[in-house]
Amino acid sequence: MAILQRHRGKPRAWRARPSLLLVGAMTFAAAVYVIPMLTLMSWAFRDPKTGFTLAQAIKLVHEPAYITAFVTTFRTAAITTLMCALLGYPLAYLMATAGNRARLVLAAAVMIPFWTSVLARSLAWVILLGKRGLVNEWLLASGLISVPLPLLFNSIGVQIGMTHVLLPFMVLPIWSVLMRLDPALPRAARSLGATPARTFLEVSLPLSLPGLLAGCTLVFILAVGFYITPALLGGDRDITIAGLIEMVVRDLLDWPFGAMLSLILLAIVGAVFALGARLVGAERLTGAEQRP
Amino acid sequence: MLKRASLTRRQLLIGVASLQSAGPFFHVTPARADKGEIVVAGWGGSRTTAMREVMFKPFEAATGIRVKDDGPPEAAKVKVQADSGNITWDILDTDIPAILTMAKNGLLQKIDYAKLDAGRLAPIPKVLQHEFGLGHLIYGFNIVYNTKTFAPGKHPQSWADVWNGEAFKGGRSFPFRGGISPQLEVALAADGVAIDKMYPLDVERAWKAMDRVRPLVTKWYANHGEALQLVSKGEVDICCTIGPRGIVAKREGAPVEVEYAGGKLAPDNWAIVKGGKNIDAVYQFLNFVIDGKVQAELAKRIPYGPSSQDAFRYLNEAEAKELNTAPHNLAKQFWNDIAWWGAIGPDGKTNSERETERYAKWMVQKS
Repeated sequence: MAILQRHRGKPRAWRARPSLLLVGAMTFAAAVYVIPMLTLMSWAFRDPKTGFTLAQAIKLVHEPAYITAFVTTFRTAAITTLMCALLGYPLAYLMATAGNRARLVLAAAVMIPFWTSVLARSLAWVILLGKRGLVNEWLLASGLISVPLPLLFNSIGVQIGMTHVLLPFMVLPIWSVLMRLDPALPRAARSLGATPARTFLEVSLPLSLPGLLAGCTLVFILAVGFYITPALLGGDRDITIAGLIEMVVRDLLDWPFGAMLSLILLAIVGAVFALGARLVGAERLTGAEQRP
Repeated sequence: MLKRASLTRRQLLIGVASLQSAGPFFHVTPARADKGEIVVAGWGGSRTTAMREVMFKPFEAATGIRVKDDGPPEAAKVKVQADSGNITWDILDTDIPAILTMAKNGLLQKIDYAKLDAGRLAPIPKVLQHEFGLGHLIYGFNIVYNTKTFAPGKHPQSWADVWNGEAFKGGRSFPFRGGISPQLEVALAADGVAIDKMYPLDVERAWKAMDRVRPLVTKWYANHGEALQLVSKGEVDICCTIGPRGIVAKREGAPVEVEYAGGKLAPDNWAIVKGGKNIDAVYQFLNFVIDGKVQAELAKRIPYGPSSQDAFRYLNEAEAKELNTAPHNLAKQFWNDIAWWGAIGPDGKTNSERETERYAKWMVQKS
């Protein structure tokens, strides 16, 4: 490009264009994101008479049910994140170290469900985990259990469903970090006499931690806003804040309070993102990272 | 009803497909001058298909006014239209809780009953002639049970039976979310309140009864399609859900049966959106569709009770047998009291709003 610029003798015009290209995207973002967000904020804090009010926030403090739903939401999201990390890391490690053909199969196993609708995948779990579902039928037939296990309409069902839905968001960032890991480093550790376990614990794992943290941040943020899966697979202990926001906005038409709940959820997601960005860098979380 | 919470992908596709199949009617060049059009926001699917066949098409033929359908008729969508000043819907087909919420928010036009045919209104029970909604299709909350678990005759025959986990073993399913008021009436019926002495509801007594049924409930379902799936597949054995939907499932071959005893009847209504541009056409449409004969034709296609008792003059015994407003079924049930649910308390909330909110809190807190 530099050569091109010198050749044409118009370096400034070339440099100006990229920012011009951004105008469209920025206008779009302002129209569909920033303005609605400001509107949401004005609903949450505006009072028709006095101009500003904290009434919605005060209402929230006096409603333990909504607080409970927030706690449930975060507990569920935390367990899902942990489960995804425990299952996702070995899978990503396998994908990074396997041969080409095996890697293709593993990548397909992760990506094909990823492209399937959340609703369809959640419903599939209803069929699998039900009282007369496949899992219970097999366990009953094998004689391991004599009465069907309660796998559905409780937290177990929610965790299984959410972990399944969100697993790709854990696997992909870890995999991308592991793939870029210099293979010479673990090899050097081995040649210096480290056991495979020690090589993994002291070389590969620490180097891939940014990927793991990025995956955890993504999964947690997505899990906090989850709605369909807990509604379909959960019981009365699994009511999430997203479900209550829906009720407040759509059925009670209490938009100011719904706006307040949404803003709090957004603020918490923002805080988690900021923490993740601090630890691993915002580029990795948004996928805007440069290839080395 | 919970229908609005439950626009599944499939229903959406059916809705889109029915819009497309309805397409040709919009393109027919009218022989006469353009008489305008009205937009009816309803629930889509087989219901809208049937309505198009027996209501919209004959109405278009008779008046030259085109009828478009859209939906789902959610309160939030009507509010968006009103707030933006771009009101595209004229008539809604929806339930009372939604109508009360919308009326309170000034989104609906009062129905001027003087503009409706007195002869056609007379056979419609007075309780269904609400100032903001005219009942036309009757649904209701009934006991729907799996016939593999309970042979008909040995099935739960009252709400007290549903509450009795000893005598009737099996999982229950009740509705939660999606704007549905809690089923406090059936809780009171289970607690021994006579169905004709239901209102005003003893709310505290009802919630105590709700506490008792809670341990028996396997799944609090979010929409009625889900409810029918659960009871059809045997994931639960007894479901408190929309009786007519149970009839639909049964006709499709599911092992379910409906017990109408103690059922709470409630109407889906025609309601007029405030600020619509074609109010004369709206009343012409209402006069057309409240006719007992038109309602009877609809009842032959979808098993929801017609609101006009006149409709039963056009239905034979077999056709009327499973309809919830047929005289023999009507006698076993009671009408949801719109006035009670819509009454505004000292807190500025309707009973419906207050109890719906309490339902969510009860569900989250008590677990």
